[in-house]
Amino acid sequence: MHEELTALAERLTALGEQPALPCLDPVNAAMIRNWTQALGDPGDWADAAPPAMIQVWSMPGLVEHKGGGVADEPLRLLNEHGYTGVVATNCEQTYDRYVKVGEHLRSTMRFGGVTGPKKTGMGEGYFVTWYQSWYDADDQRVAEMLFRVLKFQPRKRAGNAPKKGGKYPLQPAIGLDTRFFWDGVNEGELRIQRCADCGTLRHPPGPMCPSCNSTNREHVVASGRGTVYSYVVHHHPPVPGRTPPYVVAVVELAEGVRVVGNVNGCPPEDVHVGMPVRLVFERMDDELTLPQWTPAGAPEPVAEATPEPEPAELEIPLTPTFVIATALATRDFTPVHHDTALARAQGTKDIFLNILTTMGVVQRAALQAVPGGKLATIAVRLGVPAYAGDTLRVRTERAGDHTLKVRGAVSLGDHVTATVTFKEDA
Amino acid sequence: MSLSGKAAIAGIGATEFSKESGRSELQLAAEACLAAIKDAGLSPSDVDGLVTFTADASAEIAVQRELGIPALRFFSRVDYGGGAAAGTVAHAAMAVATGQADVVVCYRAFNERSGHRFGQANKSGGTGSNAMEFSWHLPYGFATPAAWVAMQARRYMHEYGATSEDFGRVAVTMRRHAATNPKAWFHGRPITLEEHQASRWIVDPLHLLDCCQESDGGVAIVVTSAERARDLPHPPAVIAAAAQGTGPDQMMMFSYYSGDIAALPAMGTVGEALWRQSGLTAADVQTAVLYDHFTPFVLIQLEELGFCGRGEAKDYIREQGIGLDGALPLNPHGGQLGEAYIHGMNGIAEGVRQIRGTSVNQVADVRNVLVTAGTGVPTSGLILTGTG
Repeated sequence: MHEELTALAERLTALGEQPALPCLDPVNAAMIRNWTQALGDPGDWADAAPPAMIQVWSMPGLVEHKGGGVADEPLRLLNEHGYTGVVATNCEQTYDRYVKVGEHLRSTMRFGGVTGPKKTGMGEGYFVTWYQSWYDADDQRVAEMLFRVLKFQPRKRAGNAPKKGGKYPLQPAIGLDTRFFWDGVNEGELRIQRCADCGTLRHPPGPMCPSCNSTNREHVVASGRGTVYSYVVHHHPPVPGRTPPYVVAVVELAEGVRVVGNVNGCPPEDVHVGMPVRLVFERMDDELTLPQWTPAGAPEPVAEATPEPEPAELEIPLTPTFVIATALATRDFTPVHHDTALARAQGTKDIFLNILTTMGVVQRAALQAVPGGKLATIAVRLGVPAYAGDTLRVRTERAGDHTLKVRGAVSLGDHVTATVTFKEDA
Repeated sequence: MSLSGKAAIAGIGATEFSKESGRSELQLAAEACLAAIKDAGLSPSDVDGLVTFTADASAEIAVQRELGIPALRFFSRVDYGGGAAAGTVAHAAMAVATGQADVVVCYRAFNERSGHRFGQANKSGGTGSNAMEFSWHLPYGFATPAAWVAMQARRYMHEYGATSEDFGRVAVTMRRHAATNPKAWFHGRPITLEEHQASRWIVDPLHLLDCCQESDGGVAIVVTSAERARDLPHPPAVIAAAAQGTGPDQMMMFSYYSGDIAALPAMGTVGEALWRQSGLTAADVQTAVLYDHFTPFVLIQLEELGFCGRGEAKDYIREQGIGLDGALPLNPHGGQLGEAYIHGMNGIAEGVRQIRGTSVNQVADVRNVLVTAGTGVPTSGLILTGTG
């Protein structure tokens, strides 16, 4: 397959620029208004179009067959050989000049190459790159875009490491007799059941005190100090959600009861019976936190709540309206950007922001930081999806006289990291 | 009234032991039961009781239908995984002794290798008491029987200075026994202590060769009154004692929360009952079949059953020996490490063969055999006695 792919890539690269789908309408004020309203872009674009809109002018719209892309063949070949996953990784736009209302553009595409196979966080894959260019009536180029996707083999043993933002696969069952314990964990406490009548401590908890048969229960909060009473190092077989080798220990608490947990924060070979450990809390997913253990002498972990973050310069609540309106204003009718049920059926959490909008948001943040700046390029690296219901927080940072770093984060992590450059004459 | 001597094992039967039986678990159960019934010189119409494991997939009525048993007067199940093995015979013996049934067949059959494998990571579900127990452990990736046993093994090593090589000597002996047992999966394939030490980690401190194999197969045991057994073709293996037991603060396989975890108190409970019922002592046993899903618990069982003192099993094994020529030959068939993992039921069959004098690895002058069931869980045990 690799040879076939390489040969195909060479053939496609040799073809050079090919005509792309036609730009259906001239650059027009109505589309610009839709776009600025949907993105909340405050710019006064008068007769020029926002540069990050460039791809909008050649979008085919709500049509059955898009096709005609220069990368269709290699993508299909990769699909047929098990590289069925796809994720966009890079989008880089270069603006030769801003286009004006009334201009009718023409677009071309050329194949940019294939690199791989590469081991990536998603699985083994190939990066496929192509370019799109836009020309004016005088055949002068006005903009160019590089677009790169990773086609990857989804990992065979699904869920071995939990997907970022996914649900941790080893969930505890929580019942009437154990709810207080997990409530405590969520409040940062390790609770030990205590008989309200005879005072006997007990873990794991249960409904009736084995010492006096009372059903009156209360709890104490453990000091979080303990010693390793026994431990194992798990190597095999694979356990969903865990990466071996990892340590499981019976920890004897200062209070006298024992609990089971993982010992994190040191190599497995450092763990020994009698080792003093202290309580830490490990966040497993959006809902589950587990009480865990770390060597008593280990440095305090960086507080989970990082010190008051600098306020984001741009904070966009990703309402469904925002996600859908921007998708349609960029003429992107792919259902995962507007149809929640269909998006979920395809395995995503919700509808999510499309890339043309991400480009627009980066532009908006950049121009907010450099008012009046003339954009030369926007190069973005794409991260986690920006799902409806989340908030996109964008910050910028000067990286040179004409360069700005832009970073947009959602609750799952970085959605976009971008480098924006400005023209020197601005 | 005592159960001792009231009932006997008159028949044993088994399918082949494999990694892929190629047939349903019900078929394995029916085949094993039929073989045991024929071995006892009986026919299905003589059977009026069936007992199996709670964990077994084949209902007693399904086995009844396959065998064409006209009616059952007694049926029951025993819980807690492999801890049920001798318990099924205990239930059958009680039924026979009290007249609830005349002929009871105990069975266990599964595709444990080609179907659902117990050694893989467990999943919790539901909110029953067992699910709650698992919920204190599974979220930490503490999800396999090997890991659960390893936790106690580590503490045992810490308390008594036992080493991985001490565990390895059990594996080497079991594989040596299996090597001369044509029915054993590891027939003709002995191992050395060096190979044991070099085998990969499963859950440190357990190497691969500390863990029993996974098997497909079925075993059945026919229990009837000692009186009736005397009239049947084989010398009866009289049930001198049969007992079930748990320990304090017992959990399914996580009894780590109080007391000494370098011990198996449930087996202590069983052992005490077996000696009391039978009137025998450890010195009266010529060979024993000790449950060997993982090597460390063979050592602790020797201590719980009184064959040696606490922490002395490593020395007992090295100095007295557990081989066919040792002071106490253990698992002459090769155990679950060597013959097959049929949840302990194949060990009961070997105990019967030792009483009959028909084992391929026959121990000389066997009068009494002790057989135990799954360890780390609520468990059970038997003492079988010859009539000769």
